[in-house]
Amino acid sequence: MSRIFITGMGLISAIGNSVADNRIALSEGKCGITTLKLFPSKYANLLPCGEIKTSTETLRQQLNAAEPGITRGTLLALHAFDQAIRDGQLTTAQLTSFDTALVGGSTVGGMCLTDELYGDAQKTVNGSEYINSYDCASMTMYLQHRYKMNGIINTINTACSSSANAIMYGARLIKSGLARRAIVGGADSLAKFTINGFNALHILAPAICTPFDEDRKGLNLGEGAAFLILEKEEDIVNKKTYAVLTGYCNSNDAFHPSSLSPAGDGPYLAMKGALETARLAPGDIGFINAHGTGTENNDLVESRAMLRLFKTVPPFASTKSNVGHTLGAAGAIEAIYSICNLYHQEVYPGLNCGKAIAETGLMPVDLYKKISLQHVMSNSFGFGGNCTSLIFSKS
Amino acid sequence: MILNMFYIHQTTCISPQQTFPDADISVLHQPTGHQLKAIEPTYTGIPPGILRRMSKSVRMGIGAALPLINQLPAPDGIIIGTANAGFEDCFHFLKQIVEYNEGLLAPGSFVQSTPNAVAAQLAMLSHNHGYNITHVQLGLAFENAMMDAGMLIKEHPGNTYLLGAVDDISVYNNALNLLAGWFKNELSAVENLYELNSPGSIAGEGAAMFLVNGNPAKAIAQVQAIGAVHSGDVGVMERQLKFFLDKHLPEGEKIDLLISGENGDNRLLKYYTACEKMMPGEAMVIRFKHLCGEYPTASAIALWLACYILQKNPIPPHLIKKSFPVKAFKNILIYNNYKQVQHSFILIFGMD
Repeated sequence: MSRIFITGMGLISAIGNSVADNRIALSEGKCGITTLKLFPSKYANLLPCGEIKTSTETLRQQLNAAEPGITRGTLLALHAFDQAIRDGQLTTAQLTSFDTALVGGSTVGGMCLTDELYGDAQKTVNGSEYINSYDCASMTMYLQHRYKMNGIINTINTACSSSANAIMYGARLIKSGLARRAIVGGADSLAKFTINGFNALHILAPAICTPFDEDRKGLNLGEGAAFLILEKEEDIVNKKTYAVLTGYCNSNDAFHPSSLSPAGDGPYLAMKGALETARLAPGDIGFINAHGTGTENNDLVESRAMLRLFKTVPPFASTKSNVGHTLGAAGAIEAIYSICNLYHQEVYPGLNCGKAIAETGLMPVDLYKKISLQHVMSNSFGFGGNCTSLIFSKS
Repeated sequence: MILNMFYIHQTTCISPQQTFPDADISVLHQPTGHQLKAIEPTYTGIPPGILRRMSKSVRMGIGAALPLINQLPAPDGIIIGTANAGFEDCFHFLKQIVEYNEGLLAPGSFVQSTPNAVAAQLAMLSHNHGYNITHVQLGLAFENAMMDAGMLIKEHPGNTYLLGAVDDISVYNNALNLLAGWFKNELSAVENLYELNSPGSIAGEGAAMFLVNGNPAKAIAQVQAIGAVHSGDVGVMERQLKFFLDKHLPEGEKIDLLISGENGDNRLLKYYTACEKMMPGEAMVIRFKHLCGEYPTASAIALWLACYILQKNPIPPHLIKKSFPVKAFKNILIYNNYKQVQHSFILIFGMD
């Protein structure tokens, strides 16, 4: 079976509008989580978020996306998608080919326009320009239409593991012969819907999140988008490659709609399954980009699952302390961060963890370091018990 | 394309007609206004405390799936296609946000609002730790779910999966679709759906679930291939249908039965007419949207109907658009179009 390489990447988050900017910010331990500057919410000054400091209007102009009905989430997706196809040097012929797939992940999709959606649902005439944009799939449908794509187009919603599953799905489409290449990723913008939802669950931190700290107080929401180009080894001629996608596994925790089982069955099975797909032993993993949301439940359970699987838990950290939890985009954003780890042979500091969780004693990496890495694991766990782990290997 | 994608061994369906637990579609149930609402059964097997908190889409999806998932050996994974599951709760929460101006809100409907609630709750109720996914590509959500099932079975030849689709009419998605002109305002009788020559269809809902694997023994049907088109251009759709049939229909064979997604929206009729004209040889043509109404994953009902027919159930006259004497249905094609730009072809083989 031919190996699947990452040949292009695009990314926008609260710490930068490109992969290069994100890497610099991660290396310097920068945090993009602040009070809200652009997004209107009652909680703007109360709940810090990983907001992208580029306005929707500016994004629209920069991306030359003047059509009515385009949401911020779709603009973020377009931004990352454009970068990825440029970086991966995909030609128009390749983009429009019947064997180029597009797989996106999103949780709120067009529902980021909470107030507009509520308004339209009350009307019987004169709907807003967004009337056909609220769907979760509106982002991939826009990209398909804009680039006249003809291959398989799909959107996955498994909550916070959506775009990790999009990456896994793209790889499987290529392996099965349903696609020759796949553009995979995800996007989510901040939304009153999610801010209020997570707030109602009492899992939003009142200050900047502290993943894996004994006294962690919850997560910060973020927004962003990331896309990656997946191609088969034999199709890659004179082209740079970033990494090989060697492992993936999707497993369900089957415990509770919004919290993980005490022993972390889902996370354990996802990580274990990803190792099996990659034919690797636990000791081969050099670094883990943890899901690490900063909630009491996730960080403890994820730590337990890591201890269950690894004799010695490899160095790990959560980049959610840099960009917040970007929900449907998180899997793809963190996949790119993991690939940066591998490609540049370096690890970035997890921020704000002062004291290890007493039960586990696990401390995330807290300093930038050059380090020799062969295989990096990236974890994504979502509501509904939807757990997915990916493994990237040095190309 | 994967050939021999998978075999269907069992299927259930909750729809606006009498389809669950036993099916009798000889007598048509009529719409209320412009909506065909599902006949919900008494849900046995869902703990009452959990049932009370479920929205209709989650209830229907789980109600239809439980008889299949509770069998031994348990399925190795759960694959759901849906566009709207959880929407009802989503709007419920949205309403609270706006009306209480982001005040103190109860999280219940937020947790239930994600489309993955059906697959997730099924995993929870049946303690299924296997592959679990929710495809949400609107009018192609179920087709993508089928593709996923086909790949999984190729990757893990011995495995069995629960594959299904569900969508419901919620107050809000109904309002949005009406506002966008996708539904007729009123329909006196479902039999008239195809005769009105006006824009818009009738709102519908339903859940159809399938147990699928790679084993042909005692199977009901074989799903051979799936194709999708993303274009409003009839010519593009015709070219891709021809390509699909040339590639997947065995040499010298014809389509015996076309299950058409025609939905009474005169803006979409040209696609269905084009498809009918392209059938190689004479095909019997049946329609099904008057049974279930229009919704993003209605093609799952068409697949259920194909299984129903392949199990030698009689085809009631109200389904038939074009009759043609057929001894046995060997090759069945489902053609569906959602909101003009999402088309799908599903090729099904009957078992010998």
